[in-house]
Amino acid sequence: MGLLEDKVVPGRENRLEACIAYGGTACGLKMQNRSCLKNQERSFSQAGLCQLLPTMGMLLTLPETAVIVHGAIGCASNGVGALIGIRLRNIQNGNLKAEDSNWVSTNLTESDVVHGGEAKLEKAIVEVYERYHPKSIVVFQTCTPSIIGDDVAGIIDRMRERLDIPILAAYCEGFKTKVWATGYDVAFHAIVHGFIESDREGRPPRREPGRQNPRPLVNVINLASVGKPDEDEITRLLNAVGIDVNIGPNFATREAIRNMTQADLTISVCPTHDDYFVEYLSQEYGIPYVLKDMPIGLENTRTWLLDIAGHFGLETKAAEVIAAEEQKVLRAVAKYKPLLAGKSVFLSAGEFRALVTGALFQELGLEVAGVRSYHHDHFGKDYYEKLVQNQRGKNFSVDIANFQPFELTNLLKRIKPDLFVGHVTDNVWAAKLGLPTLTIFRIFDNYIGYRGFYAVAKKAARILRNSSFNRNFAQHTQNPYKAAWYEQNPFAFIKIQQEAEGGQEREAANE
Amino acid sequence: MSSNFIERPRYQCALGGALVTINALNRATAIVHAAPGCASAADGAAKAGSGYWGTSSCSGRATPSTNILEKEVIFGGEHRLAEQIESTLSIVDADLYAVLTGCMTDIIGDDVNSVAGKFRAEGKPVIVAETGGFKGNSSSGYDLILTALIHQYVAKGLPKIPRQINLLGLIPTQDVFWRGNLLELKRLLEELGLQVNTFFSPFDNLASLRTASQAELNVVLSDVHGLGAARAFAEVHEIPYINLPLPIGPTATKEFLEELARHVRISPAALRAIVERETKWYYAYLEHVAELYNDLDLQRFGIVVGDANYSYALTRFISEDLGWIPYFAVVTDMLDDSAQAAVTERFAKLAPELRPRLIFETDTSRIAVALERELAEEQDEYGSPVSPAFVLGSTWDRPLAQGLKAGFLSVTYPVTNRVVTDQAYAGYRGGLRLLTDILSSLLSNR
Repeated sequence: MGLLEDKVVPGRENRLEACIAYGGTACGLKMQNRSCLKNQERSFSQAGLCQLLPTMGMLLTLPETAVIVHGAIGCASNGVGALIGIRLRNIQNGNLKAEDSNWVSTNLTESDVVHGGEAKLEKAIVEVYERYHPKSIVVFQTCTPSIIGDDVAGIIDRMRERLDIPILAAYCEGFKTKVWATGYDVAFHAIVHGFIESDREGRPPRREPGRQNPRPLVNVINLASVGKPDEDEITRLLNAVGIDVNIGPNFATREAIRNMTQADLTISVCPTHDDYFVEYLSQEYGIPYVLKDMPIGLENTRTWLLDIAGHFGLETKAAEVIAAEEQKVLRAVAKYKPLLAGKSVFLSAGEFRALVTGALFQELGLEVAGVRSYHHDHFGKDYYEKLVQNQRGKNFSVDIANFQPFELTNLLKRIKPDLFVGHVTDNVWAAKLGLPTLTIFRIFDNYIGYRGFYAVAKKAARILRNSSFNRNFAQHTQNPYKAAWYEQNPFAFIKIQQEAEGGQEREAANE
Repeated sequence: MSSNFIERPRYQCALGGALVTINALNRATAIVHAAPGCASAADGAAKAGSGYWGTSSCSGRATPSTNILEKEVIFGGEHRLAEQIESTLSIVDADLYAVLTGCMTDIIGDDVNSVAGKFRAEGKPVIVAETGGFKGNSSSGYDLILTALIHQYVAKGLPKIPRQINLLGLIPTQDVFWRGNLLELKRLLEELGLQVNTFFSPFDNLASLRTASQAELNVVLSDVHGLGAARAFAEVHEIPYINLPLPIGPTATKEFLEELARHVRISPAALRAIVERETKWYYAYLEHVAELYNDLDLQRFGIVVGDANYSYALTRFISEDLGWIPYFAVVTDMLDDSAQAAVTERFAKLAPELRPRLIFETDTSRIAVALERELAEEQDEYGSPVSPAFVLGSTWDRPLAQGLKAGFLSVTYPVTNRVVTDQAYAGYRGGLRLLTDILSSLLSNR
């Protein structure tokens, strides 16, 4: 099964044996059996995300598209935050006149829960179509209508016949998966089925074998959370090697997305994000893909670029570009390296992003003291060990957690890294302990490629120069945990669910 | 407005309102019994939409949550909830633990009262409120959690203390300035010899909530929000309530104080003295911007978009204190007929010649349509007589202001283009603050 055949997107715990609960070390993680790991859970847990949020984060970027969130009124309330990023991205992209992303909630009430919400949804779709004249409509299926049995698929089938615009269906009920990154799969599923497979014009034909684009044309899968500077760096590097770029599907039109089926290669900059979609393009359109690396840090950028160039026989050109860029960037970061050398860094983000960023910091002379990944799957399998090898065998702590800041706080108190590098919403926990933090999902900044390497070095050196904001803050803020918590193993609340085999030993980090 | 949907709701669900209310109480923590994203969705909206309340103690990603999945939906989530309450009690340092349910747990019918009741029987400070999102929006959530607290946490049988009052009706984060507003009103009222419980400022403690039953009067600063809580107080603790609109600026605040003095004993001399002193304070600063106001002609046609509290309070301030022409007022709450009637009646108290057109509209894009329709009727050969205009609304109303080439200040939820800390817009000093912010925005290109 895959994106094409799946009626609804399977949770990543099933599709990829992804796990969200592990505590131990980099070397210890490798020894774990993944099918056991995926059954680990917590007896104390803090708010996660549900798959609706990443789904919404992606699909709200589609231009001139109306999103209908079929559910209770609160499900998409986080759109407030998503909209901020989308507004800023539109400004970055020069779309100053872009209208705010639009979504509506069917606002299911107690009465709807009793009587069903199908009629309301059906009327809502028609009314949204007539009121906003969108170029496409996305329907989000959420927990409540799913439980009461609303036949959303049936309604969408009917509406596709009735309305002359693409209607996308995103089944993103929060209770269906514990791995919220499944929401990316849901968004890709909605896009593919809405704009390609169930489109009124039919799916674009597969490109004739042998017919090459004049210059290689590659798809680069973008992310709603990655900014224009990074997209520009990717484009710059690929253009320098002689490759043209089609970026999507975030912020892309239906036409641009359909055009992705005609590329020579699909490039992912984040396997955690894209595997479901690139597999589809490969299976259905014969488009090979590059998925295993993320161009963050020198070595990763090098292998990523060579890998892509290799598909087109452009390795020599790529090697030239790499040599020149590396020379240039190493010269530029030389002034920062003495300030960074020997410092320890703790990273917290989606698994692959955290790991490759760890490698980047190693290249700058820092040592990885710990990694917190939001989930764990096979894409990150060997990378932990690689980071250990990079620092001459020195092991480090690993926390696989769908956030769970109580574990992070405990861990950071023990490790006391010199620098904390976190995804948005993670940094505050380090700040409360007085640690300097470097945020890694800021859409105005470079993280990718050579510009990213330089920007991160520069930023780290700046941040380490004055951390008085957080140092002062830490003296006047409290964490909500009892003192006894900090004496416990940070992973004391991870348990193995009954379905799994019992008796597995948990590993303690730093002990 | 549509009967089939709400466009970009300017509120969270009942769970969201309840969760944010608990998070605004010092040393209280929520235990959310819901699917994994529920707490994050509500909290994420509140933290960004309220001028960056952000994540503090046990909110945001730190909110204890059962994160129930398909297994619990099928087999029930009571066991998981008991486990989570137990573990939360062992790790989270709080004095009040509030179990809040989401849609899923309400639909599958978990007996959360009995699960939480077991802990309460052991003397643990655990309360529970059923706040499934389909039960309403943030306003409903505020009432549901307060009603639960009033029944399960507020001490019963305490003697009433004369001149002690509770302030209700400003929903944390939905009123982006709730902290500043509560503290400013408290300061003012305490100078009049009252004892004032505000509960949700950063300097409040749970003890004041526990003993809130001692108050002789509840003052609901709203015609629509917090009435459920006031009714619960009346029913359980026999505290009467009055509802007075949120006062902004000298005119409204003076009337607020005088009206309040009819319901609770305030020395007339003290009232006169405070009104005089605070009014002087306001005009001592206004003195220095009056020249600017006149030389630059800073009078505007006012367009106000916000919840019932702000829509009225801002309209009144710009009309009676700032000397503007209120043109259009939009109430974005979801209100039933009687609540709409109460708000309409409130607006009817404004002088007829300065009474704006009032509409009830939840949907941002429809506000623009309604306003355009209104403006089209005004159009003459020279353009629109309704200019220069100024929009006081949420950040989402900025495109509306841009379309009208009008000035703009975000005041009502969501406010994402400003940082809000201790600012207050209520009272005399709040009015001056608002005036300062409005005039500053008009000069921002200088």
